[in-house]
Amino acid sequence: MPPSDPAALRTDGVLVVIPAYNERDCIADVVDDVKGAGYACLVVDDGSRDDTATIAARHGAAVVRLPINLGVGGALRTGFRYAVDHGHHTVVQVDADGQHVTEHVRHLLDALDDGDRDMVIGSRFLGEGRYRMRSVRMLCVRLLRLVIRVSGGVRISDPTSGFRAIRRPLLDAFAADFPAHYLGDTFEAVLVAARRGYRLGEIPVEMRERQGGRPSADLYALVQSMLRACTILLTGTTFDLPHRSGAGR
Amino acid sequence: MSTTAQQALVLLVGGLATGSVILRLARRRLLSTRYAIGWLVVGFLIAVAAALMPYVGRIGRLADMTPTAVLLTMSSVLLLAISVQLSISVSLLQERLRSTAEAHALLARRLDELEQRASV
Repeated sequence: MPPSDPAALRTDGVLVVIPAYNERDCIADVVDDVKGAGYACLVVDDGSRDDTATIAARHGAAVVRLPINLGVGGALRTGFRYAVDHGHHTVVQVDADGQHVTEHVRHLLDALDDGDRDMVIGSRFLGEGRYRMRSVRMLCVRLLRLVIRVSGGVRISDPTSGFRAIRRPLLDAFAADFPAHYLGDTFEAVLVAARRGYRLGEIPVEMRERQGGRPSADLYALVQSMLRACTILLTGTTFDLPHRSGAGR
Repeated sequence: MSTTAQQALVLLVGGLATGSVILRLARRRLLSTRYAIGWLVVGFLIAVAAALMPYVGRIGRLADMTPTAVLLTMSSVLLLAISVQLSISVSLLQERLRSTAEAHALLARRLDELEQRASV
């Protein structure tokens, strides 16, 4: 590898995937940030009814348009498949609403390398920033943490974070099968990856206030997530991954 | 007319009505053959149940239930089974729809890339 440009080494083979659903107000800034930092950028337009896709393409992102709304999990699997097809070894998932701070992408990638990890999660609860959550939601997060610790054997402080770096071989496994339903793409994916011997890590990230649009997390989503967490305890997970080969933790 | 005979008549009419509605829907291609056959069988069973009304009474006495209760129980179980089966079908369809949508999006993107490359 040419040692002349360390920044190129960092961004080489990395694809930033941004699932977006009706995010016309924020998508331009996010794409500009990501492109500005030198990363290849894919926006997966999740069946938006506004011009999110057009704006993203105008700002230089590769755009894949889903014909119908599939939810974050569906958009992500599309992104993972695109990444694998185009020879990327690492995907960083970033929200389209501008809450994630792009400088942290580099920190996520560093953490992948440092710990020889398969997935590193950007956690809102590990110090940096002042992320506030309603106490009911916090209760739910605690429950999800507990399930992952007991059943997956890993301590993850922010199992519902949508800010993550994932690389091969976990990326290949996710491209083959990834849940589309609510909490499937976050909590369940983390849980199954942990159970199957993939190495997970976490770093603190700060979150900005939402730049626009409307938060999708409301009481309905909260009740759903509670139910979902309990259902997984009863019925088991809805998808599976191959064991990490040579996984000896 | 006795209650049993009345119920049998209602069942018979119900079964025939179900059958004719299903046939009509199938002709207008609103129902695929697979489901049309399934529902015709259900309609047929309802009509047959009318003929079996006297036996329903006996089953009822065995289980200490009125004939009406026996019929309602059986139809509830049947409806439950059908609903579960439809839920399974819908889940499968959702998964297929998801895969198709994803493949469609990726192919459209690839086509764009190829067209761009060809036009340069």
